Amino acid sequence: MSNYQEIISQYRPLLEIIVYGSAVALILIGLYAVLVKKHLVKLVIGLSLIDSGVNLLFVGVGYVTNHTAPIFSPGFETAADKMVDPVPQALVLTAIVIGFAVTALALSLVIRLYRHHKTANVEQLNRLRW
Amino acid sequence: MIKRSFVVFLLLVLGVAVYEAFRQAPFGQNRIGNVDHPQSVSAFYLKHSPETLHTANSVTAIVVNFRGFDTLGEVTVLFLAATGLASILYRRKEEEEAAEKGHLPQRIQLPSSVLVRTGAKILFPLILMLGIYVFVHGHLTPGGGFQGGAIIATGFLLMFITYKRFNVNHNVLIWLESLSGLAFVLTGVYGLISYGSFLQNTGWTGRLNDLISGGLIPLIYIFIGIKVGTELTNVLDTLLHTKPRRNE
Amino acid sequence: MVVSPVHLIAAPLAAAFLIPLLNKLYRDAARVVPGVVFLYNLSVSWILVNRVFRSGPIVEVIAGWKPPFGINLVMTPFSAVLVMLVSFMAFVIWLYGFRFKRSLKGGVVMYYEILQMMMAAGSLGIILTGDLFNMFVFVEITGITAIALTAFYRDRDGAEAGFKYMLLGSMASVFLLLGILLIYTQTGSLNMAQIAERMPAVATGVKVTALIFLLISLGTEAEMFPLNGWAPDAYSQAPSPTSAAFAAVLGVAAIYALARVGFTLYDHGTVSGFLIAMGFLTMLFAEMAAITQTNLKRMLAYSSMGQMGLAMIAFGIGSEAALFGALFLIINHAIIKSLLFMTGSYFIYNLNDKRLRALNGIHKRLPYVSFLFALGALAIVGFPPFSGFWSKFYILTAAGAKQMMPLIIGILAVTVIEMTYYLRVIGRIYFAKEESEPASHKPSIQALVAMTSLAVLIIVLGLYPDLIAGFLHRASMFLLDKQTYIQTVLHLS
Repeated sequence: MSNYQEIISQYRPLLEIIVYGSAVALILIGLYAVLVKKHLVKLVIGLSLIDSGVNLLFVGVGYVTNHTAPIFSPGFETAADKMVDPVPQALVLTAIVIGFAVTALALSLVIRLYRHHKTANVEQLNRLRW
Repeated sequence: MIKRSFVVFLLLVLGVAVYEAFRQAPFGQNRIGNVDHPQSVSAFYLKHSPETLHTANSVTAIVVNFRGFDTLGEVTVLFLAATGLASILYRRKEEEEAAEKGHLPQRIQLPSSVLVRTGAKILFPLILMLGIYVFVHGHLTPGGGFQGGAIIATGFLLMFITYKRFNVNHNVLIWLESLSGLAFVLTGVYGLISYGSFLQNTGWTGRLNDLISGGLIPLIYIFIGIKVGTELTNVLDTLLHTKPRRNE
Repeated sequence: MVVSPVHLIAAPLAAAFLIPLLNKLYRDAARVVPGVVFLYNLSVSWILVNRVFRSGPIVEVIAGWKPPFGINLVMTPFSAVLVMLVSFMAFVIWLYGFRFKRSLKGGVVMYYEILQMMMAAGSLGIILTGDLFNMFVFVEITGITAIALTAFYRDRDGAEAGFKYMLLGSMASVFLLLGILLIYTQTGSLNMAQIAERMPAVATGVKVTALIFLLISLGTEAEMFPLNGWAPDAYSQAPSPTSAAFAAVLGVAAIYALARVGFTLYDHGTVSGFLIAMGFLTMLFAEMAAITQTNLKRMLAYSSMGQMGLAMIAFGIGSEAALFGALFLIINHAIIKSLLFMTGSYFIYNLNDKRLRALNGIHKRLPYVSFLFALGALAIVGFPPFSGFWSKFYILTAAGAKQMMPLIIGILAVTVIEMTYYLRVIGRIYFAKEESEPASHKPSIQALVAMTSLAVLIIVLGLYPDLIAGFLHRASMFLLDKQTYIQTVLHLS
C-alpha cells in the first residue's frame, strides 16, 4: 500500500502540470478564439472553451492525493478524513449551468444577428460606432 | 500579424500569471484539514452531511442545503436564460405563419434511416428513465437534479432530430416549469415559516443511505430535476423551431 | 411573519415563476404583478431600514447554518440605504413603463416584465449577500437579464449591443470565478467576513493577483475605464425603462460590489489609489466622449459613466465626508439619470429620431416633459438648488480636506465639460427654431406620475438635504468598518 502511495507522490509534480496546465491552456485557447476570430459562432465556441477550462481548474484544485469521492456509500460512512474537497465540486455544478445559460443566450443573439444581417462576420456587423 | 502576436504575448503573460497563482495551492495538497483542525469549511460539511443530514452524497448536501441559496439562483439563471432566449427569438404570429406557409416546421432535410428511428424509439424511454433515476437518487449517488434534467433533455433532443413530426406540447412544458420552480421557492418559504430560516431542512432526516433520507433534500432535487428537464427541452424547442424566412 | 431580507429576493422569484401561469388566465397579468411585488419590496425595505438604523446591522442566516458555513444576507446601514434606493427606483421605473408599448401583444410583454423584475431582484441580491460565490450567482442573474433586455427590440441594433455586452460580461465572469477560486484555495472559505478575517495571512502575490481579477471583473460591471465599451451601446439600444434601470439599479449594485470587495475583503488603503486613478480616467474619458455625441441616449450613457467614475473617486478618497458624498451621489445619480432617460425617451418616441439635432424647439410640443428634462440636466451638472449640487459639493470638500488639489481642479474641469453639453441640449430644446406640430405620443398618466415624483424628490432633496443627511452620515462609516462587519457576521449568538 505504501509503495503505491510512494509512486503516486513521485508523479505529483507531473500531475500538477497536466491538470493545472491543461486547464490554463483551455482558458488561453478560448481567449485567443474570442479575441482573434471573426465568425460569431467561433466566438461563442471560444467562450465555451474558457468555461470548460475554468471548471477543470475548479475540480483540479479540490483534489487531495489518495483521497476518494465525497460520498458516504455503505462501507464508507466514517471515511470523512479520506475524502476529496466537495465544495469546489458544488461550485462547479453551479458554474457549468450558468455557463450553459450564457452560451444559449449568446447563440440566440447570433441567430438574431444572422437573420437580420445575413452575415455572421464580426467585422461586417460593426454598425454601432463610436 | 502584429495584432495577433500581441494577443498571443498578452495571453502567455496571463497564462503564466494564472498558473503561478494556482501553483501556490499545490495539486493534491490537503487543504481541508479535519474537524478538529479545520482549514476550510469543507471539514464542517463532511462531518455534518452524514451525521446531521443523513445524506450520503455530500456534494448534494452542499448544493441543496448548505449552499441552497446558490442553487436557487442557478435555477433562476436557467429560467431567465430560457425567457431571454424566447424573447430574443420571438417572431410575431404573421411572420411565423408566412415562414411556414402550411409546411410543418422542417427541422431536418432528409428522413432518418430505419436504424436511427428504431434506435431512437427504443432509447428514448430508457434515457428518460435514467434521467429520472439520476435525480431521484441524487442524495445517494453522484448526480442530482441538474444532471438528471440534462439527461432527460438529451432524450428529447434525440427524438427532435430523428423525427420530423415529433412535437412536445408547449403548454405542458410551461406548466411543469413554472410549477416546479414555484415549488422550490415555496419549500424555502416553508422552511422560513416553520423553522425560522429560508430553505432550512426538516428535523427528520431518516437513515443514512436510505432512499428516503436527508429530509427535504431529495424532494428539492426532484423539483429541480423536473424543472431543468422541461426547461432545457423548452429551449431546444424554441431553438429548433427557427428557420430563416424563404423570402428574406 | 417577521420580515427579513430574504423576502426582498424570494418575492420577485416566486412572482417570476408565477407570471407565465397567471398570464394564461388574465392577459395583462404580466404588467401588474411586478408592481405588486415592488410595492411589497418597498414596504419590506422600509421596515428593515428602520430596524437597521435602530438596532444595528441585520444578519440573516439561510438554511439554518450559521456563517461561515451557510450563506448569509447582511444588511448594514450602508447597504440598507442602497436597498431602499433600488426598491424605490424599481417601483418608479415599473410605474413609468406600465403602459409601455401598448401595441405589443401579450407574449413579449411578459418576457419584458419578468426580465426587468429579475434585474432588480438580482441587484438586491448583490447588495445583500455576504457570500462571495453567492455574489457571483447574482451578478450572473443581473447580467443575463441585462443582455436579454438590451436585445429586446428587433428593429434596432439591440442584438449587436447585447452581443458585445455578453462578450465583455462573460470575460468579467471568468475573472470573477478565477479570483474567487484563488481566494478559496488560500483562505478555505467563501464567506466574506471569514475571508476578511483570514486575508492578512495570505501570501502577497496571490492576494494581489486575486484582487486584480476581482477588480477587472467588478469594474466591468461598474463601467470602469477601459472596460466600459459595452455601456454606450447597451444604454442606447435598450428600451428606455431598461436604460433607466441600468443607471439606477444595476449601477448601484455594481459599484457597491466593487466597494465591498475592495474595502472588506482587502483594505481601503490597498485600493484607494487605484480607485481614485481609475475613477478619474473613467470620468475624464466619458465626459470628453459625451461632448462629441450626436445621439441623445449615447450622450446620457457617457454622462452616466462619468458619474460612476466620480463615485469611484469618492470611494477612493475614503474619509467619512467622502463616503457620505459618494452615497449621496449614488442616490442622486439614480434619481436624476432615470428622469433624464425617461423624459429623453419621450422626445425620441415623438420624433422617431435619436439625434440631438432633432430636439430643436421641442419644448413647444412637449412643454412639461422638456421642463422635467431641463430640471434633470441642471441637477446632474450640480446647479443649486437641486440635489446634484450637494453631492458634488461634499465630494469636493472631502477632497479638499485631504489636500488633493489636482483632483479638485480635475473634477471642476469635468463639471465645466458637463455643463457645456447639457446646456447645449437645453438650448436646442428651448431656443432653437423648428416646425411645431402637436405631439402624437403624450406620456401616459403613470409615466407622468413617475417622472414628476422623481423631479419632486430632486427639488426636495436639493432644498432640504438634511432630511436624509443624518441617515447617510450614520451609514457611511459602516462601509469602512471592517471589524464591525466581521464581528457581527461571525459571532452570532
